[in-house]
Amino acid sequence: MTTTSRRQFLQGAAAGAAVLSLPQLTFAQSAGVFRIGALNPITGSGSTFGTGMLKAIQAAADVVNAAGGAAGIKFEVISEDTQTSPQAGVLAAKKLLDVNKVQAVFGTWSSGVSLAVVPLTNDANVILMNTSGAPALSVPPANAKGLSFRFQATNDRFGRAFAEVCVKEGFKRPATMAFNNASGIGNADGFKKAWEGKGGKVVAGVVYEPNQTSYRSELQKVLDANPDVIVTGSYLQDTTIIMREWYQSGIPVKWILPGWAGSPDLVKAVTAPVVEGVISVDSVSNSGAESYKLYDAAYQKAMGKPGSSNVYAAMTWDMVITLALAIQSAGKTDTDSIKAHIRAVANPPGEEVFSYEAGLAALKAGKKINYQGASSALDFDEYGDVTPDFGVSFIEGGAINQKYVVKI
Amino acid sequence: MSAYLIAITILTLIYVLLALGLTLQFGLTGLINFGHVGFFAIGAYTSALLTLNGWPVGVGIVAAAVAAMLPALPIGYISLRLRDDYFAIVTLAFSEVVRIVVTNAREWTSGTQGLPGIARLYASLNGAASEWAVLGTILAVTLLAIWMITRIARSPFGRLIQAIRDNEVAVKALGKDPAWFKIQVLAVGAALAGIAGAFYAHYITYIVPDQFVPLVTFYAWMAITLGGASRISGAVVGSAILMVLLEGSRFVHDFLPMISDSAMASVRIGVVGLLLILCIVWRPQGLTGKRGDA
Repeated sequence: MTTTSRRQFLQGAAAGAAVLSLPQLTFAQSAGVFRIGALNPITGSGSTFGTGMLKAIQAAADVVNAAGGAAGIKFEVISEDTQTSPQAGVLAAKKLLDVNKVQAVFGTWSSGVSLAVVPLTNDANVILMNTSGAPALSVPPANAKGLSFRFQATNDRFGRAFAEVCVKEGFKRPATMAFNNASGIGNADGFKKAWEGKGGKVVAGVVYEPNQTSYRSELQKVLDANPDVIVTGSYLQDTTIIMREWYQSGIPVKWILPGWAGSPDLVKAVTAPVVEGVISVDSVSNSGAESYKLYDAAYQKAMGKPGSSNVYAAMTWDMVITLALAIQSAGKTDTDSIKAHIRAVANPPGEEVFSYEAGLAALKAGKKINYQGASSALDFDEYGDVTPDFGVSFIEGGAINQKYVVKI
Repeated sequence: MSAYLIAITILTLIYVLLALGLTLQFGLTGLINFGHVGFFAIGAYTSALLTLNGWPVGVGIVAAAVAAMLPALPIGYISLRLRDDYFAIVTLAFSEVVRIVVTNAREWTSGTQGLPGIARLYASLNGAASEWAVLGTILAVTLLAIWMITRIARSPFGRLIQAIRDNEVAVKALGKDPAWFKIQVLAVGAALAGIAGAFYAHYITYIVPDQFVPLVTFYAWMAITLGGASRISGAVVGSAILMVLLEGSRFVHDFLPMISDSAMASVRIGVVGLLLILCIVWRPQGLTGKRGDA
């Protein structure tokens, strides 16, 4: 019995070794191709967005290739699943960098994965473009080489937007409620910092645990401080419960919710009278821009859903276009040249362009361009962060009506 | 290719260290520990916090082992009063308590934001050399652990814990007190998990409570179930098979692009599940076990 199992094991091990040695043959370097590693959360808690992000990368790469490539170089997309887990993300990134020899990594979604992957891309001297919110990604050690570019607003910026809304609406005594995860606490802390920076005071702050059936005691604690508005860093499920329990309490107070919580699904879940007058704040895609329409059409074609259902896919779409324009502008594909040209093609000054074709034509004509993305105007600051605009919507009679846009 | 293989091997060895603890606790002593990840988390956070505050990595790893051993004492004490399945529930609860404490002790652990920028082992060496050095170190520690558990299994102590597994009442009737032996076994397994946690933290360089969910415990359980719970080689073989299954699916995707990534995730879990069922049906003693092993 023992001998058989050992033989079986050896056979298995030999087969495994053979399989592992194969990819070296298949992925030999070929000239004139630039490899993009699409490292998206296909499974795990980011799975709602991951597949759409990947499809947007592929669709944008098709656009670039159809236009003749970037500086004549075609894009090839190789995808891996991060499983929304840092450990799986690290292994996936190692595989992309080491086996597939990708020259850029796009679309890490959760902050945990981005923070775990960024040391690897830095070591490999490869550009990482992410959609995470954690402030730590902006500065060393994570972004020591300036190779990390963030296409999403940081949690800090969300907090600043909330503070702007409070000023504009004339609130004086805000309180915060935050879901206990990086994003929830990031929003609440960002708000606190911004509000205290304006000389205000946050009258109460509560952090609550996920997956409770009731948030009555947390809510009571906040309401006891007699706030005039409650700012949340929350998600749909918990917000639904909180809204119901608050409505039952009958205490008048206003609410400012992030857009992913203050959504049509919330209105459906708790009925319109409960959430009348609630304010919902979200980073707005550049939805009026021509680039957004191009993205929307491509997303519709790939996923059968409107582009507005996945703000992160708009960001990954922009990643490919930005990279392609940077390569075209640099005329080279080494990381340092690309890094130097990303801000040149995305930031002002320059002729505003909304599509790859237009950018390509302008660059060929020797003009300086400023790509306006589908996700935002895409102007990178010194940390590689963008500052999108925030749309402020009010829930009125069950409809979510955007009233104005806050610039921070 | 090599850096990727090194990465897989390093993570496999970390799982081997976890699985070895279970081999000692379950395979040899019969303790059902469903909270292994709790000790792993304590090790990871201890070493991460110490090194982030300026202590050398070596001190961090030793401290991780010690810190993970400490809760084994009270848990071992509880185990005296609880029979197998109740002990399993208590340990599972313990690991969740650890995770929730780490989540909420924000001043120390930054809670759900996680701890980024944990020092790497051999950070002064350049890329490939440092990876090889890390691999060599973890390999050496794993071999040492294997040697130690082999020695334990063959010693009078080892025969006694196996007697506890097979018939605790008989052990008591012979005038031995099983309690102290169980506590020692728990402490040794916990220390191994703590060391594994420290290596994990210094390798991934970023830890967050989400990484220390019960799934990690059950990966280690899958490894010893596949490999053979009562054999030390079982922990090694089982961990290797588990990692090949989990990581191998990435390459299947490169060869069969028509299978989408989301389908692949389901296929991966399905294959692991199927293998576990087949293993229980045809080789309940695991791949390395002898017929008649538990």
